[in-house]
Amino acid sequence: MDAPQDAVSYRAETRATGGLVAWTLAWTATLALARFGPGFWGDLHPVVTWAAVVANLVVGVGWIVAFTRFLRALDDLQRKIVQDALAIALGAGWVVGFGYVVADAAGLVPVEVEVAALPALMGVVFLAAFVIGKIRYR
Amino acid sequence: MADLRSARAWTQADVAQRVGVSRQTINAIETGKFDPSLPVAFRLARLFELRIDEIFIDEQ
Repeated sequence: MDAPQDAVSYRAETRATGGLVAWTLAWTATLALARFGPGFWGDLHPVVTWAAVVANLVVGVGWIVAFTRFLRALDDLQRKIVQDALAIALGAGWVVGFGYVVADAAGLVPVEVEVAALPALMGVVFLAAFVIGKIRYR
Repeated sequence: MADLRSARAWTQADVAQRVGVSRQTINAIETGKFDPSLPVAFRLARLFELRIDEIFIDEQ
């Protein structure tokens, strides 16, 4: 006898969510290692630093796979909310990013902005758009 | 769909659990904010023992 649809969906979503959480923690840990590790082992071991950066990239690919699985496990509305938020975040990243490039090339930007500001901005925009989406379909 | 649900004394959570979606999805479908996918529409039709076109109206 097949499992009820709700049980199948719930198990799949729970498994995908758990996987995403695990890969997110792993990616965050490798990112911290790559960022702050050189402060501990210094410039004497550049190979170690390279290994940490490569490890972060490899785990990042795993995170991307986990995120796509998470997206597929969501129900229709939840997937729409996340996809809408992703679209807005991507658009904001493109518009603000290229806007900054143009403004900087024209000498209009008086301060130097860290490159990390762009993914940080996209993350904040995604979170805001996600929350707004959840409220909209409440 | 809200009328069909009420006639069976089911809550939105009951329908959501039987169909395998979130309660928020059922609420969004009932309030017209969201159109279900075909698999979900079929599951709803099986749940209410009706055809899809007896539950959902094409407003175009």
